[in-house]
Amino acid sequence: MKHNLSFYIVSAGICITAYSGTVNADEAALIPELPSAASTYTRSAPFIAPRPYIIALNESNASSKQAEMAVNKAAEFEPPLFSGSNAHKYLGLGTVLFAGLTALTAPEEECETNCPPVQPPRQTSGTSHTRFARTAAALAAATVTTGLLYHWNDFHLEDGFSDPDNQHALLGATGALLMLYAVNKSAKSTVPTSHAGIAELGGVAMAVAIKITW
Amino acid sequence: MNTQLRIAAILSGALLMNSTCVLAEEDFVGWLLDFSRTKEVKPVTDKQYQDECGECHFAYQPGLLPANSWEKLLAAEALHDHFGDNAEMDKETLSAVRAYAVENAADKSWYKRSRKIAAAAAKGQSPLRITELRYIERKHHDIPEKMVKGNKDVKSLSYCDKCHTQATKGVFDTDTVLIPNYPDWDD
Repeated sequence: MKHNLSFYIVSAGICITAYSGTVNADEAALIPELPSAASTYTRSAPFIAPRPYIIALNESNASSKQAEMAVNKAAEFEPPLFSGSNAHKYLGLGTVLFAGLTALTAPEEECETNCPPVQPPRQTSGTSHTRFARTAAALAAATVTTGLLYHWNDFHLEDGFSDPDNQHALLGATGALLMLYAVNKSAKSTVPTSHAGIAELGGVAMAVAIKITW
Repeated sequence: MNTQLRIAAILSGALLMNSTCVLAEEDFVGWLLDFSRTKEVKPVTDKQYQDECGECHFAYQPGLLPANSWEKLLAAEALHDHFGDNAEMDKETLSAVRAYAVENAADKSWYKRSRKIAAAAAKGQSPLRITELRYIERKHHDIPEKMVKGNKDVKSLSYCDKCHTQATKGVFDTDTVLIPNYPDWDD
């Protein structure tokens, strides 16, 4: 059972990620006939210089009506309820929630001095604590994966560590790794093992990562 | 050390290690305890700023440019030629508008997108056009020309609110983008 733990965590992570991926599955489709990028004309484009900001002044009735229609469409537009970005957000919040539940359901500390000769076997599965921990680890893995998929273009090493998205990515990934390590370490040990500190650090790193970009 | 103390100690340490937050603002505690979303750009809250700027164009949120840029842009002599137009205001109004813009500029804001703009500007940028910010350029890099310049209902990246449907609320998230005439723009 113990050696299957990593498999369960990874499988759960993949399933959740795959599920969220269905939301935005065709995002990467390439359209070969598209012209070059818009950024090439933002800096020195002649059409910007003369009257860049005046909207709808001196325009014909036809173009004014078109602009009005566009504004109306924009006003009616409702952002999608399910998106890759939203999936990432809720997976992250879920991770912190389950990490908190894991901490709350932690068993009493194991006997360290004056222990009875025969101690009950250590439970590494089937308790609320282990279930919450595995769920939190799976959600953490899925959160990082969806972050990589849907927010990859927000992460730029050139911006350095002062960039909030870089801080978010590094703290979130570190937190997820620490949580996975703690769960794995505990599950593979038949004797009491110190894993709480690592898991707590992981959970806190995830929480701080969320707060930085909240 | 019991669990609660350990969690509190780690949380405090991790937040203090976030040197940007510690060094950048005096209001760190306020930010820390505020759980309202500050992911985007602070919406315009000043009526005078909204009225004066919004009279001719979308009232760009001050958090879209660093303070240095607003200082240059809203200097009395600069408004004679405000991107080709005369945007002069009386002294008192200009002072109030400039003060609001500078006080809420990107480098003085806790909002995430403003912090990103400020981080980019810290590398020596103080452009007059929002579209010249490296961060903004990068975010729009993949948008094909035909959807902006070649789109009769957009024409320029300068018209933020043509595509960012919640621009007036300071929200520029990809999920809220609707490019006129290209409903499936992100396919």
